[in-house]
Amino acid sequence: MRTTTLQKLAELQKNPSKIRNICILAHVDHGKTTLADALVASNGIISQRLAGKLRYLDSREDEQIRGITMKSSAIALDYKHGHIDFSSEVSTAVRLCDGAVILVDVVEGICPQTHAVLRQAWLENIKPVLILNKMDRLITELKMTPFEANIHLQHILEQVNAITGELFTSHVLKESSHKSADKKDPETVGEDDVYHWSTGLEDVDDSHIYFSPDQGNVIFASAIDGWGFRIHHFADLYEAKLGFKVEILRKTLWGDFYLDSKTKRIKKGAQDKGKKPLFVQFILDNLWAVYEAVLIKRDTDMIDKIVKSLKLKIQTRDSRQDARVHLQAITSQWLPLSNAVLAMVVECLPSPLEVTEERVEKLLCSNARKFDSLPEQTQQLKDDFLACSSAPEAPVIVYVSKMFSIDWKHLPQNKQRPLTSEEMTRRREIARQRHAERMLVKSQNERIEDTTNDGVNRDDDAAGIQIIQKPKDVEHQPDEQVFIAFARVFSGTVKRGASLYVLGPKHDPALVLEQLEEHDGNVEAVVNNQQHVQQYTVGDLYLFMGKELEAMDEVPAGNILGLSGLENLVLKSATLSSTVACPAFTDMYMEAAPIVRVALEPKNPGNMKQLVEGLRLLNQADPCVCVFIQGTGEHIIMCAGEVHLQKCLDDLKDRYARVDVNVSSPVVPFRETIIPPPKTDMVNEMLEGQTTTVKAQHVMSDEDGSEDSAQQDFIELQTTDRSSTIGVKAIPLPEEVTQLLEKNAAFIKMLELYSSARRKHANLQIGFRISDATLKALREFKANLQLAFSKSGQFWEGAIDQIWSFGPRRDGPNLLLNRIPNYDRPSLWTCLNDESKAVLERFWDFDNSIVSGFQMATQSGPLCEEPMRGVCFILEKWDSDKELYQKERNLSDGQDQALSEETPFLRETRTNSGMFVDDLVETSATWNDSAVVSEGDTGSCSLREASLTKDCVDSEGEHTSNIEGAVDSLTSNMSRLAANDLKVSHEIQPTSVHSITGQLMFCTKEACRKAFQAESQRLMIAMYSSVIQATVEVLGKLYAVLGKRNGRVLQADMKEGSSLFNVRAVLPVIESFGFAEEVRKKTSGLASPQLKFSHWEVIDVDPFWVPTTEEEYLHFGDKADSENQARQYMNAVRRRKGLKVDEKLVEFAEKQRTLSKNK
Amino acid sequence: MASIFTPTNQKRLTNIAVVRLKKAGKRFEIACYPNKVMSWRNKVEKDIDEVLQSQSVFVNVSKGQIAKSDELKKAFGTDNHTEICLQILSKGELQVTEKERQAQMNSTFRDIATTVADKCVNPETKRPYTVTMIEKAMKDIHFSVKPTKGTKPQALEVIRKLMESDVIQIQRAQMRLCLNIPAREAKKVKEKIKKLSSTVESEEFDGDLEMLILIDPGLFRHIDDLLRVETKGRGRLEVISLKDVKDDDEQIE
Repeated sequence: MRTTTLQKLAELQKNPSKIRNICILAHVDHGKTTLADALVASNGIISQRLAGKLRYLDSREDEQIRGITMKSSAIALDYKHGHIDFSSEVSTAVRLCDGAVILVDVVEGICPQTHAVLRQAWLENIKPVLILNKMDRLITELKMTPFEANIHLQHILEQVNAITGELFTSHVLKESSHKSADKKDPETVGEDDVYHWSTGLEDVDDSHIYFSPDQGNVIFASAIDGWGFRIHHFADLYEAKLGFKVEILRKTLWGDFYLDSKTKRIKKGAQDKGKKPLFVQFILDNLWAVYEAVLIKRDTDMIDKIVKSLKLKIQTRDSRQDARVHLQAITSQWLPLSNAVLAMVVECLPSPLEVTEERVEKLLCSNARKFDSLPEQTQQLKDDFLACSSAPEAPVIVYVSKMFSIDWKHLPQNKQRPLTSEEMTRRREIARQRHAERMLVKSQNERIEDTTNDGVNRDDDAAGIQIIQKPKDVEHQPDEQVFIAFARVFSGTVKRGASLYVLGPKHDPALVLEQLEEHDGNVEAVVNNQQHVQQYTVGDLYLFMGKELEAMDEVPAGNILGLSGLENLVLKSATLSSTVACPAFTDMYMEAAPIVRVALEPKNPGNMKQLVEGLRLLNQADPCVCVFIQGTGEHIIMCAGEVHLQKCLDDLKDRYARVDVNVSSPVVPFRETIIPPPKTDMVNEMLEGQTTTVKAQHVMSDEDGSEDSAQQDFIELQTTDRSSTIGVKAIPLPEEVTQLLEKNAAFIKMLELYSSARRKHANLQIGFRISDATLKALREFKANLQLAFSKSGQFWEGAIDQIWSFGPRRDGPNLLLNRIPNYDRPSLWTCLNDESKAVLERFWDFDNSIVSGFQMATQSGPLCEEPMRGVCFILEKWDSDKELYQKERNLSDGQDQALSEETPFLRETRTNSGMFVDDLVETSATWNDSAVVSEGDTGSCSLREASLTKDCVDSEGEHTSNIEGAVDSLTSNMSRLAANDLKVSHEIQPTSVHSITGQLMFCTKEACRKAFQAESQRLMIAMYSSVIQATVEVLGKLYAVLGKRNGRVLQADMKEGSSLFNVRAVLPVIESFGFAEEVRKKTSGLASPQLKFSHWEVIDVDPFWVPTTEEEYLHFGDKADSENQARQYMNAVRRRKGLKVDEKLVEFAEKQRTLSKNK
Repeated sequence: MASIFTPTNQKRLTNIAVVRLKKAGKRFEIACYPNKVMSWRNKVEKDIDEVLQSQSVFVNVSKGQIAKSDELKKAFGTDNHTEICLQILSKGELQVTEKERQAQMNSTFRDIATTVADKCVNPETKRPYTVTMIEKAMKDIHFSVKPTKGTKPQALEVIRKLMESDVIQIQRAQMRLCLNIPAREAKKVKEKIKKLSSTVESEEFDGDLEMLILIDPGLFRHIDDLLRVETKGRGRLEVISLKDVKDDDEQIE
């Protein structure tokens, strides 16, 4: 059964006044699909009888299963789904429509999504109409009497209007200056009874925004049973019967009116007097009677009577089947739903012609800008908008709200067909003509003809296209997915092959027009310059027919269409226009920002490429998905919610990437830091004199060659070949400095590059140059840093010039300071002093190795190999012999013939001993130190080695001669050392420069780590800051979820003019996985959080803490490890990385079972 | 099996792990709880009663023969059982239980994967792989962990094997070096360096030759040696970055 042809449609399209672009919005399961089915059925695409069951629009398999609809199939009644995760899709559809049909389930009442869609419609300046659906459930499930039902319906209507009122008032409050005339006391909205609305139209200005049956913008319906009505319908009906005027009936059929049977007059105050309101008496009672007769009593006589009185024709096959079918047959003929809805849509919702100025302005410019500020040419476009003209000279303006992909095979021209396309068209034409003739004969339903909007009124064109079962596609073609832009023509006519400009979201008409003048109106030149403007030749045009697409040659203004060939030009949404003066449409109002973060990776590691490609496609297709690659190599995808995520993953697996994907929670980074020693213990008792014991508590003493002396407050460490000693102290950086460093990482990087370039090319002839502006910024940064240091106290005085390096990666928030007494290292900042190139830059050798060691240490701290933050390492001591190094350099260059002939072992011994002698000469104190160290770990020594060493020492000549005696006394010591080194020499390469570099690097790294461990170490966690909007009722539950996840509430304010609370909270990133979902679940969707990274926070618990004092034992018990949050986090990371975790395999030895049962 | 439980005559040891030590030609044993000895040796378990079943030294645990005092004195120089128990516990040999071995293997496996992930990149994108991806790839090439070898050599072996197989596109992250070669040797050295380096990013001749190169980290030593020998120690080498990895966040568009 078909009612319209394609030609007819094309004609209809040209008349914008007959077009209604609407969308159906509602909460999940409030009956959108069923309603849409009813509408589709009225146009003959599917059978009337099946309507309500087929769920025509649920074309995706998963949609059928879930029973919710996910995508915007546009049969030009945009069809919308209700789940919150897909509210972004709602956003896109609302954009394109002029009117919205809002569905409310009368049993469930107002649900969170109803709230959301009302708000959305309001914000997009779209006129809504209301359908109260599922009336049948009031009768069959709740078993309400008509009277109760009346009151129930009134309540729901009040609630809906209260929301609208709330939106209205908060809007008014916001723009009080704008709309002061419209301002109205909000109280009258919420509390006044419906009667007020039905009689009092005293305030025309805002009453139009409310729903009221007497205005005809409310329908009472049961989509499943196929009936629906407005009171207008009954008003017409009873006009004749009762002799009242239609106008009076329309006003009084809803509300607190009753019929005084004696006087035959309609009077007010039915409730007070205990009378039946008109609505109950004339409408609900009848309905109830039908239901009772058909469903409950199965009273055949009664049914017949009703059918007769209603003048209906019920086919016998319907009446024979079960009661429900019978009922549906009766009701859908009596009060056809589609007629009612379409009548209402046509009457109440604006056509594209009637688009309001306000909406146009809102579309054209964002809130931040005034419409007047736009260039004149742009302002002129407004008139085109309002005219909505499809005349060829009118500028073309098209808005693309989303890109979606379909199977290449589903495109109409790609449907499998045996004929060439020309033949096909010819055939189609013939078929169509024949069909049209037939159609003319048939009497048509006039009403539908007039009222339907473009797409609804169409059918499949099944005659021309053989719908062939899509063959199961085993091989995946790479370009099997075709992107179609979902768009609406706002002005002009889009023709295939026409040339348009694609205006990106950042396109600024003023800028372009200016350039246009410069280029003497040569648009091409400007477009080529502009990155936000691209040229586009219109590809194929399509009309949406539910799941089908229909190719068109041209689409006039006011219609919704699909455009192909845009996939490379448009990412998600864009504006197309024939003039560059057109501004890009403002960003869509998004109800749900992407908040659920997960990491994806292909099941098969080789499929990485496909995954990335798939993610790219997904990103293009879904406006609410955010995809990025993290520095760690993780592919993060952010979705609006768990259900949305699932849909994205399915899409990815089946359509875009076609590879199996693993999903995991993203790896959460940590930072390691130290803090000043705490003054109190875990139970807030003062700690006295224990700081020293805290220190060095965790330093592992099993490493060889290390010794932390009690007197020094720094950690001292020797390189494995004992050639140098390094003393390092770690102190926490002031927070201010850390933040400054973090913020200026880019500058630090530049500074490093610059200074190293300066160092190399003293005259700056070649190589690195930086602009004056950057130089200035660098100087400013230095001044800021200086300021921050000076604020932080005495200790940091002069620190700025002692800075040796930043770390990790040379630009991180950790510092290495040089406080070696005799090392006057050139300042890092000298490069900033202009033309001071004459400065003698004298670095010690191997300066770089120290830096590298420091970088390595800060890159991975000792707690769990995560980067450090806010730690300052002070190099207090660095003893080594430069001359010796020089000598070794020569030696390894093979210039020292005599030595090079010796065995590596000999050379090793020799150099070592030589070093010690030199040490002795220079700093005997150090020598003593190391000697003391070495005494601890010497093994037995043989006489031969001792003498050998002595020989070597002797051969050193001039040094030794001076201190012959000293050497003698120390020979035994040294020989032991040599023996020790012998062991070493098997492991390390013969001493060369790079082994020294390596050793020094390693030694610095270890020293830094130990110095770090000697302080009070803390773990830092990344924190999200979160703004959550919640209603008063769910505030408590929200706090509970936050508390469970270690979050903190910072602030909770009431939002002005509404009952919403704005809660500001912080939450550890690591606890955020699934947070949004949990909040939604616990608060039944009444609160939805947005998360944003805010800062690093120290967990104020030592990860190694165990109860020590009496009070702590009392408070935490013996084991106490259940409470230590820092330790939990640390161990989790260590386990993930495969590091050693201090955990017992088995907690209780006795509770193991080792034998099988039957032994 | 009979449905009625019949007690066996045989006594079986339950929940016992025996640690043995041979000393002075005699074998000594102590009775411990399974899964606990390794924890004790790692200093994770601190309660000795959670490790030892009884604080006596046996000659044969399963027979319940306690070692004689003079034998102990001969072997350990004391007959203090507790002390000897500690000695045996730390030096003795034992059968590592399934659970302990499993835990050990797992952690080594992870450690290797972490090391590999740290050292390698995807050659196409120059981005690192995640540890889980590496773990998967390691399983795909059937890599088995050797408990006796260190993690680093094993990691290097994994990298080699992964590069050979086509399970995953992988490459060692390149090291970026800046070389400064005196003019005299420049020509000679340049060619050799070029052969060793994977990419020469820039070359500037300004009296001295300055090169910015990317190399495989394994070749660092070669380059260093080459430079020192050829230029007689006058060439300078600076490590710009240890690994050349793209590690900023990137939005996919």
